[in-house]
Amino acid sequence: MEIKPIFSALMRSKTGPILVAVQVALSLAILSNALHIVSVRQEVAARPTGIANEEQVFSLDVKVLNPGGHEEQLAAQKAQAAALRALPGITSVASTNQITLSRSGNYSSVAASREQERSNASPSMYVTADSLIKTWGLRVIDGRDFTPQDVLEIDQKTSKDFPRVALITKATGQKVWPDAPSFVGKKMFYGTGPEAREVTVVGVIETLQTPSGAMGVDGELTTMVPARLTGMSRALYTLRAEPGQRDRAMKDAEQAIRKLHNGQVVVHSKTQSEQRVDRYKADNALCWMLITVSVLLMMVTASGIVGMASLWVTQRRKQIGVRRALGARKIDILRYFVTENLMITTTGIVGGLLGALALNQLLVSKLELARLPAEYMLVGAAASWALGIAAVYGPAWRAASISPAMATRSA
Amino acid sequence: MFQYYFLLGVRSLRRNPVLTALMVLILAVGVAASVSTLTILHVMSGDPIPHKSERLIVPQVDNGPLKGYTPGEREGDEMSYRDAVNLLASGQGDRRTAIRGASGTVEPARKDLPVFTVEGLTPTRDFFAMFEVPFVYGGPWSEADDKSGADVVVLSTKLAERLFGNANPVGQRVRMFGFDYAVTGVYGNWNPVPRYHRIVGGSGAFGEGDEFYIPFHNAVRHEMGQNGNMNCSSDRGPGYQALLDSECIWIQFWFELHSASDRPQLQAWLDAYASEQRKLGRLQRNAPNKLYTVMEWLEEQKVVGKDSRLSAMLAFGFLLLCLVNTIGLLLAKFSVRAPEVGVRRALGASRKEIFTQFLIESAVVGLAGGILGLVLALGALALIGTISEQIAVTTHMDWMMLLVTFVMSVSAAILAGLLPTWRACQVTPAMQLKSQ
Repeated sequence: MEIKPIFSALMRSKTGPILVAVQVALSLAILSNALHIVSVRQEVAARPTGIANEEQVFSLDVKVLNPGGHEEQLAAQKAQAAALRALPGITSVASTNQITLSRSGNYSSVAASREQERSNASPSMYVTADSLIKTWGLRVIDGRDFTPQDVLEIDQKTSKDFPRVALITKATGQKVWPDAPSFVGKKMFYGTGPEAREVTVVGVIETLQTPSGAMGVDGELTTMVPARLTGMSRALYTLRAEPGQRDRAMKDAEQAIRKLHNGQVVVHSKTQSEQRVDRYKADNALCWMLITVSVLLMMVTASGIVGMASLWVTQRRKQIGVRRALGARKIDILRYFVTENLMITTTGIVGGLLGALALNQLLVSKLELARLPAEYMLVGAAASWALGIAAVYGPAWRAASISPAMATRSA
Repeated sequence: MFQYYFLLGVRSLRRNPVLTALMVLILAVGVAASVSTLTILHVMSGDPIPHKSERLIVPQVDNGPLKGYTPGEREGDEMSYRDAVNLLASGQGDRRTAIRGASGTVEPARKDLPVFTVEGLTPTRDFFAMFEVPFVYGGPWSEADDKSGADVVVLSTKLAERLFGNANPVGQRVRMFGFDYAVTGVYGNWNPVPRYHRIVGGSGAFGEGDEFYIPFHNAVRHEMGQNGNMNCSSDRGPGYQALLDSECIWIQFWFELHSASDRPQLQAWLDAYASEQRKLGRLQRNAPNKLYTVMEWLEEQKVVGKDSRLSAMLAFGFLLLCLVNTIGLLLAKFSVRAPEVGVRRALGASRKEIFTQFLIESAVVGLAGGILGLVLALGALALIGTISEQIAVTTHMDWMMLLVTFVMSVSAAILAGLLPTWRACQVTPAMQLKSQ
């Protein structure tokens, strides 16, 4: 093997190789951490909300100018829902108090018993007078959905009534009753102490995200109660359109509500897909920034390798000519440069792996990011090797093409 | 001599065009990445009201329930109505204001405009002087209107133009929330970055500007609901009065002190207030009462996001890589100049002269990188600004960042040039002259 002569040649002028190795190390350290952050963010953004076929779902925010009293508001809400249901291309309508991933909603702590000092969890509370299960296509894995008899009509301005039944997500159940095999039929309390509201869990939803879509299990802590509320400044509906009909149905729905109230109303609609895009906008922006930096990183490192290798080839034209004249084949010259480069990049990669761990340690301690798994370092190392070989190939090929006649020429 | 070396440096940019262009480009990309992320950090962490930030104070009393309380945890960032009203009446500081959100419908008098919704704040009169809100027309409502909660409103320029065109609307009436409000003023272009007056409870530190302001007591008189956060630790009864009497926290309070040194007095007053309230059976947690200046408040609210800091950290790592790369390229560039150095040394130039010349040449590369880097950074900021309006307000470069760009680029180039320059100085004239 020719490793020894290459090594001693490297030791004779160390600056260039060290610079290349440092570049490889720096880029590997940043690259593996950046890739990890990107994939963590992508995983978070890819979590299911629980809503089936989100592209068919949209919401409608209705603000009536002079809403009137409890009875008038109830009548208006029922008329609105009926008008929406009558529209062609709409398969399901449900009233709700908040929208998944909309980043604005109601959170209410729950407990397994009244006597507890502290509540078990702070899940988000959905309130509906219809069936969010049907409209959103949620999966009920145990128990049942609400029936129309469950729905209470509550005037928030005067009444302290609260629904008697609730649906919870599996994640909520596991948080409130960690060891229970089933949650259906259990008594749950909103709040603690004598004022806490008691409900009976009638069904368990597989999953439904909160309006904030928080990271980890907190994003799936939701409860649902059946009620029609008045005394709020707006009424909110979520609708499912037939496949491909959403945009048209959205316009029709806005139009129908305006017509119903003779224009004395402000209506806003928003698709569930838009909610998702808005919720993860910052994460996506960060991902694009990291990907851009990673690509630039690779390009700069590659250009560093190409530049250095080209310089060495130029400096060694004469020696290469001599070697060729003494019988070295083209492939030998090529192999020399590739091997030399591999030795340098490998040194850089070893340094880079240590650097990646150090950078990750810094990110974990300063910014509370996740630990870097080994596979990202391996992927980064493999990418660095491939980049090194690809970058050195051009200069090495030019070196191999140097004619043996060079040996006969001076300088 | 400096001038001459500088000109030599500019001329040598053309000597190895490919190598030099690569060098300038790499330096520019590194600088652009760092400067654009740094600009966002700089804007996010800037002092929005430098001459006054020490005198504007957020007070906090913890009114959470004692049950299940672990010392150290905090109830929330805002205040109950009861505390807000007591603090307004306290007479502490030069000025006081309580802020909360309101939203509702506007019915324009012009029949061609449809009904639309607006979002704004309900402060007290002092708000405008405290935060130095500039007025285009008119001014704040009167002291009497403030106390009685009259139907008066201050509009944003945008809303005023939408309703009244370019005419002065002061004295005109707007139908909002189902009532007729008299316009007392129109405020000019004012939306501080960050929106320190209302970081909590609304659209956050980098949200859109407020469309209107109505008196705090007016919103209460009309029983307007809160637009924004409301945090209730215990159940409250139905109805508006129950909300006002409750321990729900939903109001942001600000004091303006006469001088920053009055802070201990305000702290003492607040502690006395809290213990007085404790005698009435409230504030049972007995948690420390806190005061925050504007900058302390921004720090407490973590206005500079982790993602921004992460981006900046990685961008600086990238700049470091570009620096190492430039060292290599400069080495290559200077190494072919050994004969030239040999001749100059033989003709009497000292090592110091050579050192200065080559370092200035590196600095010229840095300057070129700075110019290109500035262009790239402006492009990157414009691109980042398209992500959302919240981010767009933070992507404005000021003179300070402009200076930072050039300082960063030139010092990076000089740093990168140190080793190659030192190498160039080591050339022995005799060796070079002989081989020629």
